[in-house]
Amino acid sequence: MFYLSEIEHTLRLPPHLLNLPLHEAIKGVLEGLFLDKVIANLGLCISLYDIRSIDGGFIFQGDGASTYTVHFRLIMFRPFVGEVIVAKLKESDASGLRLSLGFFDDIYVPVHLMPNPSHSEPDPENKNQVRWIWEFGGENYPIDGVDEIRFRVQSVNYPSIPVEQEQEAKPFAPMLVTVSSPLNFPGAFIFYFACSCGFILSYYPTLRAVL
Amino acid sequence: MGDHIYFDWMLCRLKANSGILTNFEVLDFLRSRGAAKDPTRVIAPIAPSEWKVYDYLEQSAACNQTRENIKAFSEECKKYNLATAEVINIINLRPSSVVEIDPLIEECDTRLGEGVEELVEIVVQVLPSPPNQMESDEGTGEQDKKESTDEQQTEAT
Repeated sequence: MFYLSEIEHTLRLPPHLLNLPLHEAIKGVLEGLFLDKVIANLGLCISLYDIRSIDGGFIFQGDGASTYTVHFRLIMFRPFVGEVIVAKLKESDASGLRLSLGFFDDIYVPVHLMPNPSHSEPDPENKNQVRWIWEFGGENYPIDGVDEIRFRVQSVNYPSIPVEQEQEAKPFAPMLVTVSSPLNFPGAFIFYFACSCGFILSYYPTLRAVL
Repeated sequence: MGDHIYFDWMLCRLKANSGILTNFEVLDFLRSRGAAKDPTRVIAPIAPSEWKVYDYLEQSAACNQTRENIKAFSEECKKYNLATAEVINIINLRPSSVVEIDPLIEECDTRLGEGVEELVEIVVQVLPSPPNQMESDEGTGEQDKKESTDEQQTEAT
């Protein structure tokens, strides 16, 4: 889920930060620049891990600020394809589910990657949403907000910034993670729900038959 | 999160992948900056977005792990020839049964066969179980409680 990325960046240190020790000032500027932002193909920046070197400190003509070339490492959130992640359900609608990790919300399960077989029905509580129900072994298990769900990452995309957007369109997501149910057979999916509901014992014998 | 922007043109990347981190290592890094000790969340030098990551990791299986557990586990599972990604998945999720570990390993039957159950045993014994998993594991009786790891020292760095 997390990687370290080494980056070299030339940054301008504004003069009002000159009273701080250099390391702290640079750390502040870097955190303001990168924290909680998505870098294309590298992922979402979680944290500044360390600063390896700081060079420069030249002041260019006509400028009051000094310019440094900094070499540092960032902790990036970038799930790899095939990783299994634990997430909570955020929204569900006719085109699939949307999951959330707390710090990252753009995780989608499109309809064709939902556990098979399952169907949706309009949610009695919330007009715009549907509830997805998974059928297994003759029983229906609703996918609701209570359980923690484990999904496997299918792909991570970085769509380019749209030039125009319609009024009602979803807010632009610079990093989209598409996930699917982690298993080929339906048996273990219910097992993940069963874990959080606490009825492992009653379902395990059925799973052994499936396995 | 409404605040994400691109930064491709400004930086020169040296190494996109300078090393993969387990969830525990990120949690340990946040703890070393004071996350665990600050209930007000204002004093420690941690940004709000980092607090969200901290909350997520504290709820995952990484909250009870230690560096020693992870090293011991990676030593012990070398003989199964697992890919790094698979080992990382296992450490992050801490599966406690065959059904849970099966989706994490590609072609589990052909590569491990019966060894899967041994691997699950190793996971359960070496890696401590997260608090919410302990309740549901009680019924199956395979829980090997390691209370000493519950009070692990988080100031390793």
